[in-house]
Amino acid sequence: MSGEPSVVVEHVSKNFRQFSERNQTLKSAVMRGRVSRYRTFAALTDVSLRVREGETVGLIGGNGSGKSTLLKCIARILQPDSGTIRTRGRISALLEVGSGFHPELTGRENVYLSGAIHGLNRAKVSSLFDEIVAFAGVDDFIDEPVKNYSSGMYVRLGFSTAVAVRPDVLLADEILAVGDVDFQARCLARIEEMRRQGTTIVLVSHDLHNVAQFCSRAAWLDHGRLVEFGESRKVVASYSNSYRAGA
Amino acid sequence: MKQYLRELHGSRLILSALVSRDISGKYRRTFLGQLWSFANPLTQMLVYTFVFSFVFQVKSMKGDPSGLDSFALYLLCGLIPWTLFQSSVMGAIASPLANVNLITKVYFPRMIIPMASLVSTLYNSGFEFLVLIVALALAGSMFWPLLPVALVIIFLLVSFAGGLGLLLSILNLQFRDTEYLLGILFQVWMWLSPIIYPISLVANRSAELGPIPGTGITLLDIYSLNPIVHFVTAFRNVMYDNRMPSAIDLGMCALWALVSLVVGFLTFRRMDSRLAEFL
Repeated sequence: MSGEPSVVVEHVSKNFRQFSERNQTLKSAVMRGRVSRYRTFAALTDVSLRVREGETVGLIGGNGSGKSTLLKCIARILQPDSGTIRTRGRISALLEVGSGFHPELTGRENVYLSGAIHGLNRAKVSSLFDEIVAFAGVDDFIDEPVKNYSSGMYVRLGFSTAVAVRPDVLLADEILAVGDVDFQARCLARIEEMRRQGTTIVLVSHDLHNVAQFCSRAAWLDHGRLVEFGESRKVVASYSNSYRAGA
Repeated sequence: MKQYLRELHGSRLILSALVSRDISGKYRRTFLGQLWSFANPLTQMLVYTFVFSFVFQVKSMKGDPSGLDSFALYLLCGLIPWTLFQSSVMGAIASPLANVNLITKVYFPRMIIPMASLVSTLYNSGFEFLVLIVALALAGSMFWPLLPVALVIIFLLVSFAGGLGLLLSILNLQFRDTEYLLGILFQVWMWLSPIIYPISLVANRSAELGPIPGTGITLLDIYSLNPIVHFVTAFRNVMYDNRMPSAIDLGMCALWALVSLVVGFLTFRRMDSRLAEFL
């Protein structure tokens, strides 16, 4: 473990516009002279945190607290309005269900497409292919279009592909909430293994028990602001206390 | 800018993966498969030939110096480049919305998406060009020595379409009307281009009318502001007439291609990292 952080988030803010009258058609743009009415919703406000290499960090907080937005900013899917984010190495993101699969393509084609997006050539994907399929447990369906997959199969193949590309940084949003008990156990075992191998992991979870157990540190977000960032058990405890006090 | 170009270059694998996805997905679960790409040019050729040669009895356009005398081939030499142009632009515009699930889940330079759409459109229209080349060769057109010039013209046409596609795809994310409006504009645009009729008819009318009073501007000058006029004229010069296109036509093709590419590239790049928010 070197001292260089894997993920550096500095003073990041992200606002979304909630359009009450959005000029997405030409007619409305002309009629209102291009004036859109919207109010700004601050999804993230001045968030700063550093994730050390090989560390596992959990993001916790209520619904709409900005956890997923922060994860998407780190994954470069969203661009912060201000502040900077720096990451080192190959990033693999598992956001919500499925990680960018194309429904019409077969499982096999999607695995190759996903591999290409993570910078692996065909030969490299081929060498990992059996491992991916075996872990996902979708052998019989690998040449079926993924739109015919059950949601469990979809998630399993997504997870399996995302971890097989050997990312330096794994970003995961609520992956433990899906799949059956058996797959959840294997997921956790795999994440544990990756952590031992030095993969940096940032995960969003509502499962406080898992966060306390798996993450070395946790960040608690509330209404887009970072409330507390520190040792996971401590942060989880203060989060649950506040929740109990508030409820 | 340098970094963006390096990032694009680093995403070659994604480009080829997306292209092969588009190509293998296009005629999936059809019985005739890739044969469908021949259906469109052949149908258009038959219909236009019936209407213009048989019903209207338009005099054939004699190729100079090739001596070729076939309205159908004359038409195809304009229609196929036009179809390539139109489907390239429309494909690029539709591409971000067709790839929402990728854009909102993984990061890579977004420009790869319209680029992949352009490459797969080019691949598919390759079959149409193949039909044209075979038909022209059978009819005795001696375009072979000038074929490299035709390829350059097609390259410039694709660049022109690509830049326009990049620009308009951004516009389409802001105003979803763009796509529908363009469907109509493209029809008008086609009839304002010398595809179904020869440019000589426009030149004749222009000479009859003379310049606009008080200026030296003629109807033909205004007509020639349409970039497609130059692309079609140059391509047809090579393939149908078998002669070198004029320097003016070739120069205009290059100029339009460059301007379009630069404007489209810069516009798209500005929005690249924020694309997910517009979906």
